Amino acid sequence: MWLPIKIDEQRPEPLYHQIEVQLRGLILGGQLREGTALPSIRELAVSLKCSAITIRRVYQDLEAEGLIRTRQGAGTFVAGVDLTDREQHRLRRASEELERAVDAGLQLQCTIEELEGLFRDIVRTKSENKGDSPDG
Amino acid sequence: MDRQEQPAIRLDGVKAGREGFRLGPLHAEIPRGWVTAVVGANGSGKSTLFRTLLGLEPVTDGRLEVLGTPVVPHGDESYKARIGFVAESPNAHENPMTVAEKAEFASYWYPGWDWQRYRRLAARFGVDEGAKLKKLSKGTRRKAELAIAMAHDPDLLILDEPSSGLDPFIWKIWMEELQSYLENGDKTLLLATHVTEEVKRLADNVLFLHQGRCLGLYEKDLLFDAWRSLLVRETSPGADAGKLRGVPGFCQMESAGPGLYRIEVEFAAGGGLEAYLQACGFQVLESRRLELEDILGCLIQKEEANVEPA
Repeated sequence: MWLPIKIDEQRPEPLYHQIEVQLRGLILGGQLREGTALPSIRELAVSLKCSAITIRRVYQDLEAEGLIRTRQGAGTFVAGVDLTDREQHRLRRASEELERAVDAGLQLQCTIEELEGLFRDIVRTKSENKGDSPDG
Repeated sequence: MDRQEQPAIRLDGVKAGREGFRLGPLHAEIPRGWVTAVVGANGSGKSTLFRTLLGLEPVTDGRLEVLGTPVVPHGDESYKARIGFVAESPNAHENPMTVAEKAEFASYWYPGWDWQRYRRLAARFGVDEGAKLKKLSKGTRRKAELAIAMAHDPDLLILDEPSSGLDPFIWKIWMEELQSYLENGDKTLLLATHVTEEVKRLADNVLFLHQGRCLGLYEKDLLFDAWRSLLVRETSPGADAGKLRGVPGFCQMESAGPGLYRIEVEFAAGGGLEAYLQACGFQVLESRRLELEDILGCLIQKEEANVEPA
C-alpha cells in the first residue's frame, strides 16, 4: 500500500523524524483509519528509499504511543485514536500553520495590529464564501 | 521481526589475498537480518572479500566467522549450503553446461533446494533453461545465476555486482524478488554494487572499502543524515574564508561565486557548526545531503589524511 509520505532531502531533520512525524499526522489526522493495514517494514523502506532499520524504529515509536499495533504474522495496523488526541493534534497543526503565516507577516515588517486586522478580514471573507458553497 | 544477536559475518583483523593485492586487516560485524551494501571503487577488494567469505581465498591472518562457523582450512563447510552466491564474472568451467544442468547440479549441493521456487524465478526472469551458459549474453547468464542462487532460499545471499547487464525491466522484477526474499527480516543480503539506486532502495547498512581497507560500516540513513553540502555566504565583507576549514566535521570546500562557498561537512551531535560559522562571519544559505559517491570521496580523503603522517 502507498502512503503519502514525502521525504525532503533539504530539511535538516533526520530521515526517521521526517517519516515519523508524517505517519503520526496521517493517523491522528484521520487519513488512515483504524484497522488500516500498513506496509511491511521492508516494503515501506524500499518505497521511501530509506533503511528498514529506520522504518522499524518509526513503527516501534508509534506502537509505543499506541497509534499502531503489530499482530504476529498478520502485519501492522492502525489502532483506534483517542478523540482528545485527535482534537489536540488538529489544533496543534492549525497553530503551526498560523505561526508560519505570522512569521511571514513579521518578515514583511507588518505590525501585530495590521496582522490582526488582516486575519479578521480573511476569516470574514472565508466564512461568507463558505456560506455560499454547497459543501461548506 | 526478531533479529538474532549473532552477526551474519564477523571479521576480526582478517587479512587475505595473494601477491599484488592485499585485503585487510578488516574489522567489521555484518548484522544478521539486514541488507549491507559494499561500496568501493574497482580494485577496492569487494570481490576478494566475497571470495574469502566463501573460503575460496585463504585467510592469512585474523579470525573470520560466517553464519557462526569459523572459516579455517579443512573446517566445517556446511555453512556454505546456507549461502547463495553470484560472482562478478561467471565461472568458465560451467560454460559447456545448460542452465537446466547447472540448476540440477545446484539442487544436489543445496539441501534447501526448491524446484518450485527455482522455476518460478526462472520464469519471472525469462530464463531459457535449455540454453548453454557460454551461449548466453552477460545479462541473460546473470538472470539464470540469480534464479539458481536464490532457489534454496539461503540465509545469506552474497551478490557481486548482480545487476550488471540486466535490462531495466528485469531489474525491476529482480528488485521485487529481493524485496520478497527479505520480507520476513531473517535473511541477510550482502551486495557489492556501483549502482547508487540499488544502495538507496535496498541497503540498511553501507560498508566502504578502499584499497583493501575498511573505511567503516554505517547505518545508511544516519550516514546520509550526517553528511551535508552547505552553501555559505559571508555576512561581513572580508571574512576569512580560510576559517571555513576549521568548521567542525569539515571535509572539503570550493568557491561558489563572490563571497559564496560550498563546504562538505560531517555533522556531529552538538558540533556547534552554525555558531562557528556565525562567529567567522558566514551564514548558511542551503544545506543538502551528499550523494553516496561524494561521501565515499570524503571518507577516502579523511583516511588518507590519517595515514600520511605515519
